[in-house]
Amino acid sequence: MARKPQENPALDMTPMIDVVFELIIFFVVTIKQEDTLSKLNANRPAPASGSSSSNESDTTVTIEIGRGHDANGVLVYNKREVRRSELDQNLREVARTSTKTPIIIKCTMDSPHKALVDALDICYKNNLFSVSIFSM
Amino acid sequence: MARKAQENPALDMTPMIDVVFELIIFFVVTLTEAQRKDETIELEDGRHGIVLVPEELPPTHLQIDIASRDKRGKRLPRGRISMGDREITPDEIGRRVKERMRKVGEFPVLIRADYDVRHEVVARVMDACTANGIWKISFMATAEDKRSKPGHPARKHLDALKRRGR
Repeated sequence: MARKPQENPALDMTPMIDVVFELIIFFVVTIKQEDTLSKLNANRPAPASGSSSSNESDTTVTIEIGRGHDANGVLVYNKREVRRSELDQNLREVARTSTKTPIIIKCTMDSPHKALVDALDICYKNNLFSVSIFSM
Repeated sequence: MARKAQENPALDMTPMIDVVFELIIFFVVTLTEAQRKDETIELEDGRHGIVLVPEELPPTHLQIDIASRDKRGKRLPRGRISMGDREITPDEIGRRVKERMRKVGEFPVLIRADYDVRHEVVARVMDACTANGIWKISFMATAEDKRSKPGHPARKHLDALKRRGR
């Protein structure tokens, strides 16, 4: 059977455009926008150094982090449980004296990582960058 | 000037097909790139941290992922530590750090830990690094306040915990 000569030799674009739109929609929906990330640096003393009291000067500021009652964990400053905003105020006072003040963050093993990052972030907010992390 | 009558009225499809293939390849490559990291990890906000530009990190840097949940959302009490897309033990991290230390000297270590991970797991990873001479540890956080956006999974999770009074 002989092939019928084409009346309209132009390619029909419709299915291709359909497919392309389908692809575009698929990718737009699946692609997740990347978050802007930041990093918070801290020092980690060797576990063998044990007691921190030997090299602790009297200006050193200690922040303790515990598990607390909710998923946020608790921050303890000056033996008192503080909110994030209160810690911020306290550290602002510290930074006014000297931004070189060494900060020690002591975390209990069952504290959530979130609280540590929050504490580090508050230190960074107040330009206190010499932070050490201890685990208890 | 009159337009020349078209000899061949068929549209030339070649450039369009080229462009479409280019697009497909681009998206496939970027997608696989994004999938190489653990997607279950939700980072805590750290707006005041140093903004992290992945391209500017030295090629020697080491990124360690710590997830608190598996792919189905079930909580893992001991976390899941991984490098690249492979699960790894703290001992193995210690060995890798030691080896890299011997080859390139000091290098940055980045910990990408979920906000909900217990400190114990993070401490184990940090100890594996300090035991081999890396004292400086960086924690990854998000530079933007996405947690405050309603509907964010981490925000929903925290709200649910609050309601239950945990």
